[in-house]
Amino acid sequence: MKKVSFLIGISAIVFTLFAFNTTGGKLVSSKTHIKFFSHTSVEDIQANNYASVSTIDQATGDVVFSVPMQSFEFEKALMQKHFNQEGFLDTKQFPKAKLKGKITNLSEIDFSKDGSYNAIIEGELTIKGKTNAIKEKGTVTVKGNVISTASTFSIVLADYGVAFEKGKPSTNIAKTVEITVHAEYKPE
Amino acid sequence: MKSRKKKILKIGAILLIAGLLIGGGTVLYMFNMPHRDVQSTSVDFSITASQLVTEYLENPSQANEKYLADDGDSKVLEISGTVAKISEDFNGQKVILLKSDTDKAGVSCTFTKETNQNVSNIQIEETVKIKGVIRSGASFDPDLEMYENVIVEKSDLIK
Repeated sequence: MKKVSFLIGISAIVFTLFAFNTTGGKLVSSKTHIKFFSHTSVEDIQANNYASVSTIDQATGDVVFSVPMQSFEFEKALMQKHFNQEGFLDTKQFPKAKLKGKITNLSEIDFSKDGSYNAIIEGELTIKGKTNAIKEKGTVTVKGNVISTASTFSIVLADYGVAFEKGKPSTNIAKTVEITVHAEYKPE
Repeated sequence: MKSRKKKILKIGAILLIAGLLIGGGTVLYMFNMPHRDVQSTSVDFSITASQLVTEYLENPSQANEKYLADDGDSKVLEISGTVAKISEDFNGQKVILLKSDTDKAGVSCTFTKETNQNVSNIQIEETVKIKGVIRSGASFDPDLEMYENVIVEKSDLIK
């Protein structure tokens, strides 16, 4: 009899562990879109990236984006070349940018219930080897078993060592650019 | 005498206009330079997905030096491997992951709106050869807690 209750106890524990695993696991997304947009009176410039990888941990609120810099695509080929070069983002030396953050209001997000939740993400952003602290607002959307994250925020290029004193870049590229981030996570 | 002066003036004017046209044309071309057509660019390296991943995992800086270009026009590769996953990105482009079961990472190949249709009949487990431009290498990312795949874009299937 003791043996049986012991077995039941063990199976109960194992079952709980599994249950937690399925609801609280880490989700991976390779379906992402990152856009940057620069506005000046001279011209608007935008670039799109569809090749980033992101993870979200529903249990801890950790969110990570790894961004392959050479995957940013511009309308104009010359701009794209400039973007990659040493004076700008130096993508050969720094092939990836990274956003690493934590959702600080995790208790307000119910990953098991459909809806759109406001999220506050605190962490750091690393571009061109330079890391700065960020605190941004975003949304987490739950629809069935698909979870999406989205956020739009601004960064100051000079904070990441991208600054132009003179010439065309100084007039045509905004000092502050807007970054839009979107990812869709599905269980495998 | 007068006609000679006229002649010089005429030649000067023609030269000036020609110069302006060439100069202006160059500026215009630079500004509107078309994107590199990866598929009509010759292949720099022919390699298997496993070899490429191994090169990156063993010596990432050496691999970056070999495959990435300063201006983003990185090496054009012809990669053969086993199809492990077929998906679509937010831009409606097909993405085929070449990865063998025994490798830690694979090669993720993004197609284009023009080449999408060429992979509609591809099956999982099939062995294929894909041509595209490399964007970034494979590595273990401690924050993602997983291996990242090599990223190849502007892909098409090689028959």
